[in-house]
Amino acid sequence: MLPLLSIVLATLLAGTAATFFAGTRARWVALATSSVFAVEVAFLFLSFSGWPGYSSALVPGFSESESYAWIHISWMHVNFTVGVDGISLVLILLTAILQIATVVYSWNETKRPAGYFGLVMLTCLGCFGVFVALDILFFFLFWEAVLVPMFFLIGYWGGPNRRYAALKFFVYTHVASIVMLVGLLALVFYSGASSFDYSAVYAAGHGLSTVVQAFLFLALFFGFGVKFPIVPFHTWLPDAHVEAPTGGSVLLAGLLLKLGGYGLIRWAVFVLPAGFHVDLPVVFFVAFLSIVWGSVVSLAQRDLKRLVAFSSINHMGIVLLAIAVGSSIGLVAAVLLMFAHGIVSALLFMVSGSAHHAFGTRDISAVGGATPTTPALSTFAMAGSLASLGLPALIGFPAEFSALLATWDRLGYWVFIPLGILVVTAAFYLWMMQRMFFGPPRGIPSEAHDVPWFEGAGMGILVVFTVLFGVLPSLLVNVIVASPIKGFPGT
Amino acid sequence: MIDTSFVGPFLPEIVLLAATLLVFLLDVLGVRRLEIAGAIGVVGVGVAFFLVAADLGFSPIAGFATIPSGQINVGGPTGLYAFTSLGLVFQLIFLTAAFLVGLASLSRPTGERGASIFYGLLTLATLGMLLVAIAADLIFLLLAIELTSISTYLLVAYTRKDGRSLEAAMKFYIVGALSTTLSFFGASLLFGAYGTTNLRAIAGMGSAGVPTLVLLGYGFLIAGLAFKVTLVPFHAWAVDVYDGAPTDVSAFLAGGTKKIGLFAFFLVFLGPILAVKASGASTLPFGTGPFNVGPVLQIALAAAAVLTMTVGNVLALLQKEMKRMLAYSSISQAGYMLIGVTVGTAPAIAGATLQIFAHVLMKGGAFLVVAAVAGVGVGPLITDWRGLGTRRPLLGVAFGLMLLSLAGVPLTIGFVSKFVLFSSAVEAQGWFVWLAVAGLLNSALSVFYYARVLKVMFFDVADPMPTTVPLAAAASSARLAFGGIGVGRAAAIALVAVVIVAVGIYPQLLLGPIQSAAQHFVNVGP
Repeated sequence: MLPLLSIVLATLLAGTAATFFAGTRARWVALATSSVFAVEVAFLFLSFSGWPGYSSALVPGFSESESYAWIHISWMHVNFTVGVDGISLVLILLTAILQIATVVYSWNETKRPAGYFGLVMLTCLGCFGVFVALDILFFFLFWEAVLVPMFFLIGYWGGPNRRYAALKFFVYTHVASIVMLVGLLALVFYSGASSFDYSAVYAAGHGLSTVVQAFLFLALFFGFGVKFPIVPFHTWLPDAHVEAPTGGSVLLAGLLLKLGGYGLIRWAVFVLPAGFHVDLPVVFFVAFLSIVWGSVVSLAQRDLKRLVAFSSINHMGIVLLAIAVGSSIGLVAAVLLMFAHGIVSALLFMVSGSAHHAFGTRDISAVGGATPTTPALSTFAMAGSLASLGLPALIGFPAEFSALLATWDRLGYWVFIPLGILVVTAAFYLWMMQRMFFGPPRGIPSEAHDVPWFEGAGMGILVVFTVLFGVLPSLLVNVIVASPIKGFPGT
Repeated sequence: MIDTSFVGPFLPEIVLLAATLLVFLLDVLGVRRLEIAGAIGVVGVGVAFFLVAADLGFSPIAGFATIPSGQINVGGPTGLYAFTSLGLVFQLIFLTAAFLVGLASLSRPTGERGASIFYGLLTLATLGMLLVAIAADLIFLLLAIELTSISTYLLVAYTRKDGRSLEAAMKFYIVGALSTTLSFFGASLLFGAYGTTNLRAIAGMGSAGVPTLVLLGYGFLIAGLAFKVTLVPFHAWAVDVYDGAPTDVSAFLAGGTKKIGLFAFFLVFLGPILAVKASGASTLPFGTGPFNVGPVLQIALAAAAVLTMTVGNVLALLQKEMKRMLAYSSISQAGYMLIGVTVGTAPAIAGATLQIFAHVLMKGGAFLVVAAVAGVGVGPLITDWRGLGTRRPLLGVAFGLMLLSLAGVPLTIGFVSKFVLFSSAVEAQGWFVWLAVAGLLNSALSVFYYARVLKVMFFDVADPMPTTVPLAAAASSARLAFGGIGVGRAAAIALVAVVIVAVGIYPQLLLGPIQSAAQHFVNVGP
């Protein structure tokens, strides 16, 4: 069997390196790399759906798994182990889609294009690595490999307050990842596992006493939660988003937040189930807090980008709620919701970026009735808003519906909190549409223009997938369940 | 018939001696061309390398799959020398350093004086290093160190013109003489206490002897050898010498000869520490039971390790000149290596050995790059390197790799060695864990000054290209190929960069054989 994941990693690595050194031709190299990556991921996805490859002997429960000895000391083995299951595969698909969309959308980047596209490539490379790594050291290595390029994307290509935002982003997420690393290492050393491999960590985690699991889970919950972001530690997100260039925002919302969700499911919920159950009240509380806070604060935003950023907090809160429900359907819903939010929030950040280009401002109240001037932008904004508020036949609907269903199963009438908040979400998106794009024209600068072709193409790619997986969510769900979710203990 | 069987194992040393004598002989005869002396030196070191590798059971396909166990050849029970597999590994490390410096120095300016002297002294110093690696007797060890030291005093001053170099050589010589005095004084006290200078015999007598005499003897030995290893507070000379010496010589001092001091630490201090472990005694010195010198040594070395890495790192942070920054970072790295001696388990010794090899590559390579960059007209300050990464991408990437490796970033050799070293301290449990913590904190601290150089090189705006480089002539001569860097130096730098990444990606290449060599060392003793 071909070492598929290593091949994908190698092509991404080569493409990233080539992009950095490609000078003014960087965008073409980036486009070629992301196209090759997309084809490879499509192949992975299609061959995965064909099933029997799913049960692989090397790492139980993971297909395409590979393992190579890296550092073998007499008492400790570190291997380079990779593999995918349904959860990681869906998120890898998201990575491929967002990478190509970002490259196309940013086609005309003129400020040091080689650096810009190289960092975009590197971010996606790191995300791919996080999703396939089945070894603590490599997981952490890729995790940090995401952080550093995003720091530079915000800090060099960002808005006027970029240095502050980049530093805040770096400090928050870096402290969180140190806590996460300490938690994972404590898990290994405390349990006496002789390897950093996922299977060893999994067995070690299950073998720990409930109290130890509870403490370790809290550490990991904090480490992954800041990336989510969970509410008391969310303040880096609006700043980072507002200052980041559009491409950076797209990757930040579309991929980086998903790292937190993925890490929580893979390395905390699955590994420390007893600790997860003990800590459930904390998780539920934080989830509800994030949902309500993110939504209410969204209502007060005048900046379109800030609005999308706060609605991200709200949506990721629903993801956390679905995880906390702890049933198989809840976990499926969480992964589906992460995928949906990845596509939709990326679309909305592109819309706000294009709105900024078109009107010279992102202030919702400054512009009105823009549809006749910018019909294409208006269409994309409508598509993004409808998908975000959960219109059936768009990707947001199956995700949110199943999340609420799972919550109903577990919590009963508590479901009316997220449900009520969904109404608020719908309200602020529709209100935004109504103010900016409908009604009589107001405050539109004379040089306003509709989206250029490349921005339209970038958003078009995302709209296609919004509709495709909205109509056929089973394409994703059938893959997602091919993971430890299938046998998850549940409530 | 005279028994000549003892000659065989000494073949590498004999080759180096022959190369040295040949270079000096040609110098006397008036043949002083750099190419000839350089070729003899580099080929001699290369041949010696392959001879040692053959002794270690190297085969082109299996690599070092079969390390011979234990002592390969012993000069008798109270012998002066012993070929251990770890000793041979160290010989390879020393020869690597000499080879890199010799290769790079082929690209020195033609008109420079003393080229043949340079290569003669280089091979002579290397000969002394090889003898250190096979020493089994305290006096033999100190004499071998002395052979290397005297050669290097001369090496620092070989240009005979540069005032800074002469001053550095003078400092180096005076400090070296002090160090030698202290070492021999310590050795004589130990001889008084134990009645032998054989290292293995001494190791077995950890609890014998008059405690005062033993402690004083070891104390003077630590101080004397600490000068060679640049442990704090015996480090101050190193920065001035590395800074003042010709940069290729600095590469050899920091990357090469400093390591003989570390192997001397292995030989002198690991014996008593290992003997304590074998006897199962307490690892803390203030417990009950008879006096034993091993735990005392562990405490002293641990303190020296933490002090050295911390002071070296903090001072490196404050430096404005590239060479001085590298010199202080070299001091701090000696602290990491000392962790291996303190912990004294097989993984720890393997980690320290790998760290020493990594340091040969990283620091030696970094000084070679500094020499290359100085050769194309860049000043000594770190800020003078502005934009070098965009102006000279390949050189910048190679130097960046060395710095990342020094900082211990994954997928470089520096990460692997630190990982093995620190995790072995964690594995040893007890208070050794704090050594790992100190090492980790210091590594985190060191990232700042390495990252600062990376930022200057890759993100700061470049100055206009210095016009002193005759770029038009660059392609015409091998010495000026690669934009004035020269073939030999470019090859040495490229070799270092490739090995740093190759071992970083596939550490088992070296880790396996080094681990078995370390295990044999633990089993057999010095």
